[in-house]
Amino acid sequence: MTLSKKRVVLGFYGSVLDAGGGPKRWERWRPTVSLFQQPDLHVDRLDLLVSPDLESAAAQTIDDIRRLSPETEVVPIPFEVRDPWDFEEVYGLLHDHARARGDDPDDTDLLVHITTGSHVMQICLFLLTEAHFLPGRLLQTAPPRKGEEVGHWTIIDLELDRYAGLASRFEAVQRESTSFLKAGIDTRNAAFNALVDRIERVALRSSAPILLTGPTGAGKTRLARRIYELRRQRVALRGPMVEVNCATLRGDQAMAALFGHVRGAFTGAVSDRRGLLAAADGGLLFLDEIAELGLDEQAMLLRAIEEHRFLPVGSDREIESTFQLIAGTHADLGERVRTGRFREDLLARIDLWHFHMPGLAERREDIEPNLAYELDAFARDEGRRVTFTREARERFLDFALHPSSAWRGNFRELHAAVQRMATLAEGGRVRVGDVEHEIGRLEGGWTGRAKADPVAEVLGPAADDLDRFDRVQLADVIAVCRSARSLSDAGRLLFAESRKRRASVNDADRLRKYLARFSLTFADCAGPVPPPP
Amino acid sequence: MAGLLVIDGAFGEGGGQVVRTSLALSVITGRPIRIENIRAGRKKPGLLRQHLTGVRAAAEISDAEVEGAELGSRALTFRPGPRIRPGTYRFAVGSAGSANLVLQTVLPALVLADAPSTVVLEGGTHNMKSPPHGFLAKAFLPQLARFGPRVELSLDRWGFYPAGGGQMTATITPAALRKGFDLTERRDPVELTAVGVVSNLPPNIARRELKVVQRKLKLDEAQTRIESVGGPGPGNVVWIEANAGKVTEVFTGFGQKGVTAEQVAERTVREAKRWLEAGAPVGEHLADQLLIPMALAGSGRFTTVKPTLHTLTNMAVIERFLPARFASEESSGRWTISVAD
Repeated sequence: MTLSKKRVVLGFYGSVLDAGGGPKRWERWRPTVSLFQQPDLHVDRLDLLVSPDLESAAAQTIDDIRRLSPETEVVPIPFEVRDPWDFEEVYGLLHDHARARGDDPDDTDLLVHITTGSHVMQICLFLLTEAHFLPGRLLQTAPPRKGEEVGHWTIIDLELDRYAGLASRFEAVQRESTSFLKAGIDTRNAAFNALVDRIERVALRSSAPILLTGPTGAGKTRLARRIYELRRQRVALRGPMVEVNCATLRGDQAMAALFGHVRGAFTGAVSDRRGLLAAADGGLLFLDEIAELGLDEQAMLLRAIEEHRFLPVGSDREIESTFQLIAGTHADLGERVRTGRFREDLLARIDLWHFHMPGLAERREDIEPNLAYELDAFARDEGRRVTFTREARERFLDFALHPSSAWRGNFRELHAAVQRMATLAEGGRVRVGDVEHEIGRLEGGWTGRAKADPVAEVLGPAADDLDRFDRVQLADVIAVCRSARSLSDAGRLLFAESRKRRASVNDADRLRKYLARFSLTFADCAGPVPPPP
Repeated sequence: MAGLLVIDGAFGEGGGQVVRTSLALSVITGRPIRIENIRAGRKKPGLLRQHLTGVRAAAEISDAEVEGAELGSRALTFRPGPRIRPGTYRFAVGSAGSANLVLQTVLPALVLADAPSTVVLEGGTHNMKSPPHGFLAKAFLPQLARFGPRVELSLDRWGFYPAGGGQMTATITPAALRKGFDLTERRDPVELTAVGVVSNLPPNIARRELKVVQRKLKLDEAQTRIESVGGPGPGNVVWIEANAGKVTEVFTGFGQKGVTAEQVAERTVREAKRWLEAGAPVGEHLADQLLIPMALAGSGRFTTVKPTLHTLTNMAVIERFLPARFASEESSGRWTISVAD
């Protein structure tokens, strides 16, 4: 005979619909009263939110309910609202009430009655229920149909996956958005697809920071952009997406670039500068290569994420900016924390949603769909469609899928390879010869054989955008990197002369920042096999 | 003790009556029961609030263990304690459900208890599809007294659907049930009177109803009465009382939204006329009420109009619990229902 859970209804005393004295009131539909005329609804307690000025009017209604349903405890709760149409006020008051209630879903079956009250009140009840501040289900009443006396009631469960008819619909929508995150590429790698499914759920539900790790060229930047687009479409993100490669930020400039500065904050600060964090207000900030961020910047960033406020350089007035952070890195942040180069608290903050993007070599089954995608992208960008001959296609896939193909540059490298083959293709057809040529180029890059143009190998078509001045310098730097055992080793070689003059120079850091200007890391430039010591 | 008796709730008429009769007889016989398919096929199947109050009431007077006593439950297991506990009880039916139906569930047991009881019932006192207070007090309880037990049923407060809030008090003096109940004849011509009651409604409604009754049954105005009663909500009933010597029958019509006073009265007159023309002493509703006492007494008979599905269902349920066997015999439009020794 024990009903395991106590059934509690929470709702407003409806000043219009629930009100009324005199016997005529029984001829009208009164939503709250009608709940207690239902032969198939049992309520242990009614928490009735009553505006103090309506207390005496509500007394009649409460009396009627007590008589109709002797087993129901009716608890009038004074609820004073100045303007029932003021969203902010109503939401705030209801939020306070919801928190003060402390309903335990384990022993209370809470039904939130949303038929009475102003529309704003109803909306607020809905929102609080939907967000689980009120841990229950919605209860709706409707007036009687013709020939009926007391009207109907319906429980609306917002756990939408309980509705079989909606489940397939959601699956379709989810397929759409995961496909969007994958740029429409029909990837086949099960682990990668599962990863994107998880990212999709997080991207739509959470505005907490996301950390994307994985080797250079695995598609972190592309995914961050897609997440931004998805959020913009689905959760109406208003602000822009701001992308920064942290490796390109140096010294005072790093601080100022991120957080802004006021005029005269330092030499050269001739005017106020807003800073990237402020620019990302209401939007998304993508900090690529976050491991390269200095410790001071890390501290400021942590505060900006947690409190949505920070101090521009030279300013004594804090700026507010609310943005979602996506951080990218190919580095092992745990290792950086152990060696004191990355703040543990910042890592803890951005590590909540950590997704590791596998490299191309770990997802070879996705090479084929990516090839199709790259050809489509080429057609879109260049205005001409290029296709492979069947032989050429087979040859290229044989090579690409072969375990000995390193794909060190990952998807960026695949992209570059397709660009080159498509550009060189005669008459819109990539032939076996073109493929063989490209294979030679790729293999050469991976085996570290001397090549005519190391810059083009590493940067792909982007190399053509470089000034000759930079290109010559970069070519030599890459050559040194390929022969070096590590970043520090390369740094020592490259900055040997300044080293002699200044004892404490950080060669590795200098090299890292130099490479980052070209969106490169040491791994992009290094040779495949470390030379023997 | 005998084993669990399984009752198919969907049997026959398949409504709440199966549940009520089963509960009453389980309490009396001490036999544990399991009712399945409760109110199957109804728009709102399973136990409703008024049924649940009945289940709880039956459990309270018999210290029963109950499983499945939940709203919408389609199956109920009820294990009564060793004895019927007389005493003072208060049962409240929510949603303006019928308090009389709750009384019906506990009354057969309490009239057989070893001491008097007082039962206060709150809820609806005049609901459609359930015997109203006037019928119980004037038609049924006097017949029950002929079996032995005396029950006074006072109407303390009128409770109409949909406001509810009525109250009745049943004062029960138990007695062993006498065998040989006999109600096969009535005195003709019967004396007819009619009463129209309004609560929080214009008395004109009752006046219009009584006008129809007067015209159709050829009554004088002196044989009719208008009562304007208090109560929490609006309500209207009209009833025709027919005094036929050993028996008084009561036919009731309920005012309803969207139905004119005249239509309410005409329906009531039609029911009264069926009984008047049949010449049997017992109407269809009274027949339902007499089955349990007669079966418990072990013998008796009465003559009635054509048994309804409701009555036939009730007889079948009773036979599941008791050794009594009902026989019914038709003769020129009258049925004699009997239980033989």
